[in-house]
Order: sequence, then C-alpha cells, then structure tokens
Amino acid sequence: MSDGQRLAEQLPPAKVDMFDPGGANTRRRARNRRLFTWVTGLPIILAIGLLAILLFDIVTDSFSWQLIEPRNSGVSFSLGDGFRFGGTWERVVTLDLQAQGRDQQEIAATLGDPEARRVYGARNRVELMLWAEGMPLRYVVTSSRDKHLEDYTLAQGFSRRAELESAVEPGQLFYLNPWLDLAFFAKNASRTATMAGLGPALAGSIMVILLVILISVPLGVGAAVYLEEYATDTWFSRLIELNLNNLAGVPSVVYGILGLSVFVRGIGLGPVVLAAALTLSLLVVPVVVIAAREAIRAVPGTLRQAAYGLGATRSQVVGKVVLPNAIAGITTGVVLAVARALGETAPLLLVGAAAFVPRLPDGIMSIFTALPIQIYAWVSENDVEFTHVASAAIAVLLAILFVLYAIAFWLRRRFGRTA
Amino acid sequence: MTTPTEIDVRRAAAPRLADDHQTIRTDPVAAGDSVVNITDLKLWYGTFQALHGVTLNVPRNKVTALIGASGCGKSTLLRTINRMNDLVSGVTVEGQIVYDGVELYGSDVDPVEVRRRIGMVFQKANPFPKSVYENVAFGPRLVGFKGDMDALVERALKSAALWDEVNDKLRQSGLGLSGGQQQRLCIARALATEPSVLLMDEPTSALDPMATDKIERLIDELKRHYTVIIVTHNMQQAGRVSDRTAFMHVGRLVEERPTDQIFTNPKHEMTERYVSGHFG
Repeated sequence: MSDGQRLAEQLPPAKVDMFDPGGANTRRRARNRRLFTWVTGLPIILAIGLLAILLFDIVTDSFSWQLIEPRNSGVSFSLGDGFRFGGTWERVVTLDLQAQGRDQQEIAATLGDPEARRVYGARNRVELMLWAEGMPLRYVVTSSRDKHLEDYTLAQGFSRRAELESAVEPGQLFYLNPWLDLAFFAKNASRTATMAGLGPALAGSIMVILLVILISVPLGVGAAVYLEEYATDTWFSRLIELNLNNLAGVPSVVYGILGLSVFVRGIGLGPVVLAAALTLSLLVVPVVVIAAREAIRAVPGTLRQAAYGLGATRSQVVGKVVLPNAIAGITTGVVLAVARALGETAPLLLVGAAAFVPRLPDGIMSIFTALPIQIYAWVSENDVEFTHVASAAIAVLLAILFVLYAIAFWLRRRFGRTA
Repeated sequence: MTTPTEIDVRRAAAPRLADDHQTIRTDPVAAGDSVVNITDLKLWYGTFQALHGVTLNVPRNKVTALIGASGCGKSTLLRTINRMNDLVSGVTVEGQIVYDGVELYGSDVDPVEVRRRIGMVFQKANPFPKSVYENVAFGPRLVGFKGDMDALVERALKSAALWDEVNDKLRQSGLGLSGGQQQRLCIARALATEPSVLLMDEPTSALDPMATDKIERLIDELKRHYTVIIVTHNMQQAGRVSDRTAFMHVGRLVEERPTDQIFTNPKHEMTERYVSGHFG
C-alpha cells in the first residue's frame, strides 16, 4: 500500500459545500478585499497627496504680488509697444532712461559702453511682469534702490486685487511678479531679492556634477567589472563587497568631513569646485558600483559562454558582450546616483561651498556655490521676498531631478526588455 | 519510513560500474582516422571527481554522440575538448587530449585559440542581442578579420541552412527569429570562425520536433566538412544522427561503438538498461 492511499484513509472526508445561499460568503470575501485594498492603498494616497501639496506650495510661493515705490525707474511698458524679438532689453532700457529724463546721446553712451551696461544690469531688473498697472504682461524696470512696500501671496493678490489696486497711490507700482523667469537662471546672487538669480549656483552644480560623472563612472564601472568578471571569490573580495554595501549607507555628512580633511586641507585644494566634485564622487562611487554590478550580473551567462566559445578573450567578452548589454542598467544607476549627488547639501557645506558667490565659477579651481547651498542660504534670509526666490530655486532643483528620473525611467523602459 | 517504490527497487538493482571498468569498444577508431584523441582524462571540480579516466578517439568527419543519464559527465567531457571548463574556477584536469597532433592541455597552448578552432553550440540558443549579420560576424571580428565579411556571413548562414530564411532580414535582431532559427544562427555563428570540430551540447533539447528535424538534417550535412560531437538526452536522436555512440555513466565511458550496434546489441548491462529506457 502506498503512502498516498494510507493518508487518504486516515483523513476524514472533506466537508464539501459549494452552495452559498444568498451569497453571504462571497460578499464577506469581497468586503475583506475592499478593506485590504484601502488599508494598503492609504499610504500611497497619503504620499501622493503630500507630494501634491509640496508642489502646489512651491509653485504658488514662487509668485507674488508686490507693491513698490520706484526711485530711479519704475516705468512699465506693454509687451505690444513695438518690441522686436531679440532687442527687447535694449528697447526697455532705452524707454526707462528716456523716462528718467536722459537725452538720446546719454542713452546711446550707456548702451554702447560695456561697463555702463553692466552697472545698469546690476542695479536694475528688466522683467516681464504677469500683471502690472491693470494689464497683463508688461515690462517693468525695477531698481535695487526701489522701496519695497508690500508683498502679497498669489492667493491674497487674486482675492483682494480690486481693493489693492485701488489703494495704489501715484508713484507706486503694483504688479504680479513671476520670480521664476528666464532671467532668474542667468542673474547672479544679490543682497536684493528682486536682483538675485541662480546663475552661479546653477553653473556650480552643473560643473560639480559633470566632474562627478567624469570621476565616478570610470572608477565605479571599473570596480564593478573587476569584481564581477575578474576577481576570484576570496576573503579579500568578500571584504570589498561588504564594505561597498556599508559605504553606500554612510551618512553624507561623514563624506563631507572626509572631503574637508583630505581634499580641502590635506591636498590643499581649498573650497573649490574640484574638492566638492571629489567629495561627492566618494559618495556616488559605491552607489554606481552596486548598480553596475547588478547590471553586469543581469547579463545572461549564456551570452558570455557564447562569446568564450567563439574564442573571445576575457577583455573581449567584457568589452563586446558584458558592457554593451549592461549599459542601460549602468546608465540608470549613474543617473540615479547623480540625482542624489545633485541634491546633497551637507558634504558641500563642510567642503566650504560659499553662500554668496557673485559670479560664475571660471574653472575647477574656482570657489563656487551649488543649488542646494543657494537654496539653504536664501531660506535662511530674513527678507520675506527671499522666500519666493528660494521657492523658485527649489522648483528648478525639483525640475532637474524630475528630468533625471525621467531619463532613468526611459532608459529602463527602452533597453530593459531587449536583455 | 517509506516503503521503497518500484522505481527505487529498479534503481537499487542497477549494477554499479567496477572501479577498473574497461570501456567496451568494437570497430575501434584508428588513431590515424581520428581528429581528437582523449587519453585517460580525469577531471575534478574542486574535490569532486567528475571524470574517471576517459579514453576516446573521435573520428574525422563523423558524428559522435555522447549519451548517458544526467550528471554522468558527458557535458563535462564535451567542454574539456575546447577548454571551456577552464572558465569554471577550481577545475583540475589530468590526462591528455590531442587535437591535430597538438596536446590541448600543454603548457604552451592558448585556450582562446583552441576555442577558435573547436566551435561550440549550446543547449539553449543564445544569439547576441544584435542583428543576424553581427551575430555571425562576431567571431571573425574578434580576430580582426579583414576580408570580405559579407561573403563570409553568407557562406556561414548557407552552411547552417539558414540563408534562405534570413537573407532579407540580416539587419534585424537575431532575437526576433524563431527558436529553431536562433539555434541554426548559433551554428552559423560557430561555423563563421571556420573551426574543424563542432561541439554540440544538447542542441535541440529546447526545440519542437519540426525544428529538431531541421537541425538533425543539418548535422548530417555538416559532417561532410566538420567533425561533430553531440551530447544528447534523446536516444532516438543519437540513433538518427550519429555514426558512433559513447555511453557514459558516473564519469566513466561504459561502451563506445558504432551507433547501430550499441542500440541493437548493447554489450554492457548498464547500456542495455539505459538505451531501453529503464533509467536516465
């Protein structure tokens, strides 16, 4: 007698009742399922809600209604006042200087002299305001010496616009300021909120990130190739593996301290772009190694075998089979790691990124600032107008991160299925 | 305590091979007619011995089939012939394999060069995620082939009986072909490096009968120019395609004879049980 038969004899016959009078059982199960769906779905709904609030807050904060009392300028010009495409800035400046009572010769001299242009640009802001003097889209020239009277949020301005506009006295100007505009990307840092821009921070971040990619991709991918394709399984390679996973989890501020003592002071680079890039590379390399190893491991062993079987050397297998098939995964890992580095603040603070940099970095040995540092500095300002500047900068940072994550997502979709 | 099943009983009754088992051969292949001579080959994975002294002469321009139950060492034996086992860490090989007068495991032999002369086709079709053309051109490109690549690719695809089906889609991905076509693409890829011996490790085990039939016909064609060694689990296949068959059991070569003899008149009891489907 087989085991199966004996077991069947020992067990009582199963109570089979397929009938569900009135559908009570089915209803109970459906209810449980609905409950389960809600309980597990709630955190996701919560997360999406919070994200929406964050985005809404940042976007609305980067607009504000302002009431100012112009000193040296304060003229507004309609978009339709015969502006040619391209020559807008000169045209507005000409009109502004005319309104200040300069004659044609003086105006030509100001516009013709690079130094005079620079001084004008440093003191005055030519801005396409969304709403000014009762009309949409008007150019407004403001000066850093203008008297800023009031600052209303977007919502306040809309709900009380009629009241606020009627209270504008002669000589005052009331407009809807889009803090995040094209000029915002180019302007330098300034003590005046209306004059402050993202130029040096953006340039600094881009330089640092490009250097980080240049440093960490060869190192990280090289290490991953070594560990996956060349290293034999010894205590040494296991130690490296263990440390890699731990390094990826070390708080970034620790890397900042390391960067400060090694690159800034030890080698004596000082608080420059290169030191920041090296420090962030320390942070990024373990992440790149882990991502690249996973991508390399995902390349089917049968492809390696095929290449070896055709007489490929180890380096040919790596170069012609492994890396081409792992490139999507590696790139995705690099993009995600770079996105992380882009948002890192603590290491840069320690390495000595400056809070106020009035000009673009002119090389890898130049002092610099970066997006998160600039945001941190602006948030710390007392002036309420800097809230809007900070919000605009946060919106830019989030947009860049969004683009990077979208690239990673696209790469995964594009190349993920061919492997 | 479970009672032994009928299968267990039959297994237990299966005779063990004696440690000093001598391979049974009839019509042995003369050394002069053979292209690969394996002499007393022993192989260890770490401390586990997978091959216990295998001696086999592989006749030129013939198909030799290696059969045996899973784990008997037939794939291992196949992989020693083009030194693919070198890629597994912890492998030690003892004994001799002579190919065209060269001792393959000699200290001055480059395993990469060995693999270029002794091609291999794997159990699962493994084309690279590249175009059909690039798949075939892969091997020649490795050695920096400077000649007429188009002609070489065409010749290899024709030899693999695939040209007529893919000549209008050479630039399309090799992964877009059917399973059988992919396997023939892999054969074409192996032929493109112009080897003289082709090792096949269960090349049709993942294919349907129609695709299998095509590959078997192809193998029959290939032996005019190549020496083929094929590992198979399918005894009908061994009977159909091979000229000589070697039956292996637990790392030993039990019987090595012309195929029709081994299937109609097996000498060793193990062989008889295996070819009649009692185990394996």
